[in-house]
Order: sequence, then structure tokens, then C-alpha cells
Amino acid sequence: MSVTDLRRAGTALTALGLLGLAMVYGLSFFWVSTESSQGIVQRIFYVHVPAAWTAFLGFAIAALASGMYLWLRDERFDRTALCAAEGGMVFATIMITTGPLWGRIAWGTYWTREPRLTLTLLMWFIFLGYFLVRRSSDSPERGKRYAAVTAIVGATLIPFIHVSVLWFRSLHPQPVVMRTDGGPALPGDMLALLLTSVAVFTMIFAGLFMLRYALEGLRHQVDMRGRAAAA
Amino acid sequence: MNRLERAIVALAPIWLALAPSATAAQAAAQEIGGLRAYWHVFIAYTIAIALVLGWVISIARRLRDVEERLGRG
Repeated sequence: MSVTDLRRAGTALTALGLLGLAMVYGLSFFWVSTESSQGIVQRIFYVHVPAAWTAFLGFAIAALASGMYLWLRDERFDRTALCAAEGGMVFATIMITTGPLWGRIAWGTYWTREPRLTLTLLMWFIFLGYFLVRRSSDSPERGKRYAAVTAIVGATLIPFIHVSVLWFRSLHPQPVVMRTDGGPALPGDMLALLLTSVAVFTMIFAGLFMLRYALEGLRHQVDMRGRAAAA
Repeated sequence: MNRLERAIVALAPIWLALAPSATAAQAAAQEIGGLRAYWHVFIAYTIAIALVLGWVISIARRLRDVEERLGRG
């Protein structure tokens, strides 16, 4: 896929995703029913859960691409990891800022030392480190290798974050969609809106990932021109 | 009927279908968290859209800069 094609596809997906996000917001306020025990604040769920899913998707892609980069030393994998990690950080930031807003009403506190929250914050810091480590070395190649290892270490937390509410005594709500003992435990309208929101967030991530990858492609062209001019 | 009246007649069934669930949805919310809960939902939704748009703008600016550099080269 050429840079131009990537930009076209990325722009179209992002525009569709942003329209979808406006629709999700509208449906969240005017269509879906209110959860009886939590009230209106439960609506944060339609942003928080899709953001978490998208962040995990971004970090998982970053880790996979980093592994491939360490194995094959192909620059395209490093670029993929960088773009996915950047998207993962954006959505992880949405996740860890919207969660406490829900927690303040539901639990009476913004934050508590609790396994899922602590592991998620740790993963966020590890991926923050990913960007710092890339620039920490005089040798760009070494920086990329260190960053790749950091991404893999960060992503190993994803399964632990998922099962932490099952393995440990946890304040965080149990899974309501990907449950181990049966299907989703949500009323139809809430499940429909949640899945729509997950699809919309994934679409926005995919669109912006393509645009971000196109940007890295153009930067690569600039570097190649600079090297050719210097030689 | 003029155009506005025709639009109202066309949209009325949709509004009637949505109105009961919307009204019921708001009624239950009065008890838990009160107005503060609404604020938290608005802030959460604003954070989400602001960060996404921030990323969009950041990518657009960086793309423009790189294109300018390519154009100069």
C-alpha cells in the first residue's frame, strides 16, 4: 500500500470513526437505558471500556511488531510498533482518566490501590518509557532495540490486567462481556451500544494508525534524501 | 403541508419510539450521584473526544511539516 493510499484510507476511516463517536454519544444520552444500581455515571462505561480495548489492541500490536523487529531487524516493524504504541498511549490515557471519574461516584474515591488499577497504571508508565528509551541512546538502532524490549515487557501485563479481577480480591467490576462462565451479562441495548462503541474506537484507531504510518513513511523518504544528498 | 410539517410528521414515529426510554433513562438517574454524576459523564466524554482530536491534529501537523520538508528537498 502506497503512502497516498494509506492517507486516503486512514482519512476515510478516521472521519467515519468520528461520525460514529458522535452517534455513540447521542445514543448514550438519548437511547440506552440507565443501569439501575449505578445510575447515569454508568454511561462512562461506553467510553472507558472501548478505550481500554483499543489501548490493549495498540499495545499488543506494538509488542508483536517489536518482537518481529528484534527477530528480522526490518524497519517497517519498528515503525508499526511506534505507531501502534502511540495510539495505545492515547487510548490508555482515556482509559485511566475516565475510570477514576466513574470511581468517584461509584466507589467514593478517584483511585485506590487495587490490582487492576495498579497494573494498568504500571503498563501506562512502561509504554511512556517506550518513547523515552527510543531517544535515550546515541545510537538510534540501539534505542529501537531497547524500546522493542520495553514494548514486549509492557504488553505481557495485558493478560494479567484482564484476569486480575478474577484472581485477586478486587473492587473493579468483573468482566461483563468476555466472561469465563457464559455469555455477556448485559441487557440488549447496553450490549449493542457497547459493541458499537468498541467498533467505533477500533475504527478511529485503525484510521489514525494508517495516517501515523504514512507519516513515518514520509519521514523515511526525507531521511533517505538527506543521506543521498550527504553521500 | 409545507416542508417543515412533512418533516415533523415523518420524524414523529421515531421520536415517539425513543421518548419513553429516554424519559425512563433520565428518571432513574436522579437518585445516584445527582448532578455531579452528570458532570463526571460530560467530563469523561470531553476527555475522550479531546484526546482523539488532539492526536488527529498532532498527526496532521507532523504530516504537513514533513511534506514541506519533502517539497523543499
